Amino acid sequence: MKLKQVLALAVFAGSLQGAMAWTITGAGSTFVAPLMQRLALHFKQATGNHVNYQSIGSGGGILQATKRTVDFGASDAPLKPEELKRRDLIQWPDAIGAVVMGYNIPGVGNYQLHLTGKQICDIYMGKVRYWDDPEIKATNPKLNLPHIPITPVHRADGSGTTWIFTNYLTKVCPAWAQKVGFDTSVAWPVGIGGKGNEGVANYVMRVRGAIGYIEYAYFKQNHFNVAVLENKAGWWVAPTMQTMIAAAKQANWNEAMKHDFYMELPNPPGKYSYPIEGPTFALLPKGKNTNSYVLQFYTWVFNHGDADLRALDYITLPDFVKKDIMASWKKQGLSW
Amino acid sequence: MENVRIKSRVLKSNVIMILSTLAALYGIVFLGWILVSIIYHGYEYLNLDFFTKDPVPPGMPGVGGLRMAFIGQFIITTIAAFIGTPIGIMAGIFLAEYGRGTWWAMFIRNLADIVISMPAIVIGAAVYVVLVAPLQSFNGLSGSVALSILSLPYITVATDEMLKLVPKEMREAAYALGAYKHYVIKKVTMRVAKTGILTGVILGLARMAGEAAPLLFTSFNNDHTTFNLLKPMATLTITIFIYATGPYHEWHEQAWAAGFVLTLGVLVAVIIAKYLVHGGSFTAPFMYVARRITKINKG
Repeated sequence: MKLKQVLALAVFAGSLQGAMAWTITGAGSTFVAPLMQRLALHFKQATGNHVNYQSIGSGGGILQATKRTVDFGASDAPLKPEELKRRDLIQWPDAIGAVVMGYNIPGVGNYQLHLTGKQICDIYMGKVRYWDDPEIKATNPKLNLPHIPITPVHRADGSGTTWIFTNYLTKVCPAWAQKVGFDTSVAWPVGIGGKGNEGVANYVMRVRGAIGYIEYAYFKQNHFNVAVLENKAGWWVAPTMQTMIAAAKQANWNEAMKHDFYMELPNPPGKYSYPIEGPTFALLPKGKNTNSYVLQFYTWVFNHGDADLRALDYITLPDFVKKDIMASWKKQGLSW
Repeated sequence: MENVRIKSRVLKSNVIMILSTLAALYGIVFLGWILVSIIYHGYEYLNLDFFTKDPVPPGMPGVGGLRMAFIGQFIITTIAAFIGTPIGIMAGIFLAEYGRGTWWAMFIRNLADIVISMPAIVIGAAVYVVLVAPLQSFNGLSGSVALSILSLPYITVATDEMLKLVPKEMREAAYALGAYKHYVIKKVTMRVAKTGILTGVILGLARMAGEAAPLLFTSFNNDHTTFNLLKPMATLTITIFIYATGPYHEWHEQAWAAGFVLTLGVLVAVIIAKYLVHGGSFTAPFMYVARRITKINKG
């Protein structure tokens, strides 16, 4: 009899514990997806709570957060304060990441191809069509570039990586600024579309002659070659931890904090700065009953997540920015 | 003269025969190619972990499985079958028995035809508006509803067609014995048409089990195993879609294996349906296998 009672109690306690562990669903940015999946695993191990992150693209993340079908969204395209107000969202950055130019050219290895902003622009404008074009040979005199057509790969879905990349092109290439501009999706003059950073990486690895813009973590986890780029100061920089940190240091946080963290980081000054880089943001749909869980998760990320960010070569936020973000939650009347 | 005419007719006949055989081969070759490549790529990645573990993020130590997708697929398609089958059969009975010849039945029949040819993603988007946006969460239940809507017209049309094949004389005989209409439907027409209807149901369910598009905006996806119907839920089809378009080698392997399991499931369902048509009962395929085995033993 007693044993039965103990067993019943144990089952009851077990079910209670089961009920206390919660699950939140986030969706959006494929740029930050490898990081979110890693953080979710460690968060589960630390707290027992589940974070289900789905990599559907920043455009989808903004839309679903606005429609409140997810508990939080993630986007690498910052929203302006008036846009946040209209959508009733709260925005904060959680990491900084670089966008690499991946390519698939037979006989050309990693960090061998050197590209300027103008060359990337001309490739994506459809002006340069073959890898042995004189314009590309000019910066790569030693490379044996084959005569194969260039297949520019871009994103097919609404994407914050596209926002960062086109923001960069807008800054380095007047023709691009005039004809195309920057957004989460633009009217691409040429190229094929892949779904998510995953899709673009997949195309770059499979299509001979392809070039694509991809988040750095996907370069780290896969096997394709990336280009060395010319930065604003005129130096050649490869995407490495050093150049990415140098670029992240150029972020003007004090100014961004005044505008709900909106900033346009791509093409920063500085000799060592990697040119295509930007922060990635979380979007909280105000007033959902899961708000406090999301903030618990992000508090954990800010306190314990830096090791995971470094493991995947995302740049961590400075401590004063993290503190300011958490203070801004309180200011918005949120508790967690 | 007579001889020449016959010769030219034989020639024409042969040309047409060769062309149609080639057309049939063209279709079969691709079907065979798809099946062989799925089996070839899929089976070698099957192992126990594949069915019993949740996925591990790419780049992390350890290999996960797709437990959440198997469980989610099972839950979502089972519930969809329980929603879609009774409604579809009832609608079919209405069309063939109660509403026969009325404009209302014609209208529903045309509607069913339209839904059959409707892109599946449109059904998903419609369910999103009705069941996802108001509930403020992607959820497994809405995926079941979307899939059941997809299978409805198949089941309805199959039931309708099968009941229409039942000879008028059988109904008249039952009426002559003084049976009520619902009694005639239950005891006479449905009994005769049972096998055909069952085949339609299985084909409808097999069709919906392989759909990813209606689930994109409804059941969404989940990296963890869940039994909560009001939360996002993983399915095999969505997982295959994501994994196959992803950049990671192990994702590609798991997508092949998941495709293999899903294809096998659908294939088995269709084979059962085919045997039901020819053998006339659920036991027929087993009887067939049993006969084969005894034959082999004898031979």
